[in-house]
Amino acid sequence: MRETGPTRSQSDLAEMLELLLDKGVVINADIVVTVGETELLGVKLRAAIASFETAAQYGLEFPEGTDMERVNEAAGVEELAETETVPVEASSDDSEEESTDSEEDADETEAEEEATQTAEAENDGD
Amino acid sequence: MTEQVEEFEVGRYLYCVVAVGENGSDDSFSMSGIDGEPVTVLTENGVGAVVQECESPYDTDDLETVRDWLLTHQEVVDTAGQTFGTPLPFRFDTILKGDDERVRTWIADQQDTLESHLAEFEGHWEYRVGVAWDEERVRDELESEDEELADLRERIDDSEEGTAFLLEKQYDTRIRDLRQARKESLTNRLRESLEPLVREFDVLDSNSGVLGDGASDEVVQVAFLAHEERETDIGEMLDDIAADPGVEVRFTGPWPPYSFAPELEA
Repeated sequence: MRETGPTRSQSDLAEMLELLLDKGVVINADIVVTVGETELLGVKLRAAIASFETAAQYGLEFPEGTDMERVNEAAGVEELAETETVPVEASSDDSEEESTDSEEDADETEAEEEATQTAEAENDGD
Repeated sequence: MTEQVEEFEVGRYLYCVVAVGENGSDDSFSMSGIDGEPVTVLTENGVGAVVQECESPYDTDDLETVRDWLLTHQEVVDTAGQTFGTPLPFRFDTILKGDDERVRTWIADQQDTLESHLAEFEGHWEYRVGVAWDEERVRDELESEDEELADLRERIDDSEEGTAFLLEKQYDTRIRDLRQARKESLTNRLRESLEPLVREFDVLDSNSGVLGDGASDEVVQVAFLAHEERETDIGEMLDDIAADPGVEVRFTGPWPPYSFAPELEA
């Protein structure tokens, strides 16, 4: 028979910790910006954590202002499918190559380039 | 988005807000917080903010470090709760830019709001319940309860490979629907039994973990806000549910009311 009271074991605590990233008192960031003296910080951290395991692969939405380049880097993924359709100034010969077979073994420079282009494209969209 | 490193020289990391009381002093609380920094309680008109100094947000790519920080955050909020009663726990990495005086001014500005939230939460904590069931048993039970399922099973056994394959698909769909219905009825049963005993009730998405450790095998997870005096009643009610064969119930708490915390203004 189980006891009638609640437990607090190690595994219970582990589950609880995730809450701290997601729940708890929130300070209204809009007001913070208006006031200008206070800021709500730490959004990036959450995105970075989320990225480690799952978020980027499953295409979850990140909070506004998330550094997607870093998220992708941390998650070990390159580009998400939808970003591949972003029109890029493809003037050089090797741009075609990039978009095809070198996708998987793209070196860091290429990955960074792609991420930058994506970021720009996203800004245009906004 | 351009790289934007928030910089500030003086900041206060917020753990929680507590009711210290009119005559309470703020030096009765001492422990170390994140990265071993001293934690203090800044009090204004009986409302205390549990804080530590910081110069930048806590930010890292190292998961272990994050776990340590979160654990420390939880420990500080827990200790504050034991000392002062139910705290208003802040989300991890909430920082007020400015010094102790800035925090006191903030408390003074938000006095009414903070007091009313503290009063509302007094004696109440968050509890969480997860229910797991024996999948094999559930499958057997569904098969014995549902004619359509039993019929499909029979036809599969009597069919050639190709037909059997298609029937298997139908079987899978049917069992998924039945399993979902069973899950919903379990959720409703929890809700109906708990609602008289709790103040707020929330069904959680059980597949939302980001810190690893693998997905839980619990089919239903709920969080609720309840008065600490109801713990035993709630436990007994959960015993009833746990008494069902093949069902396991995990009841945890009391936690600071993270899931039911308000949004505040700065």
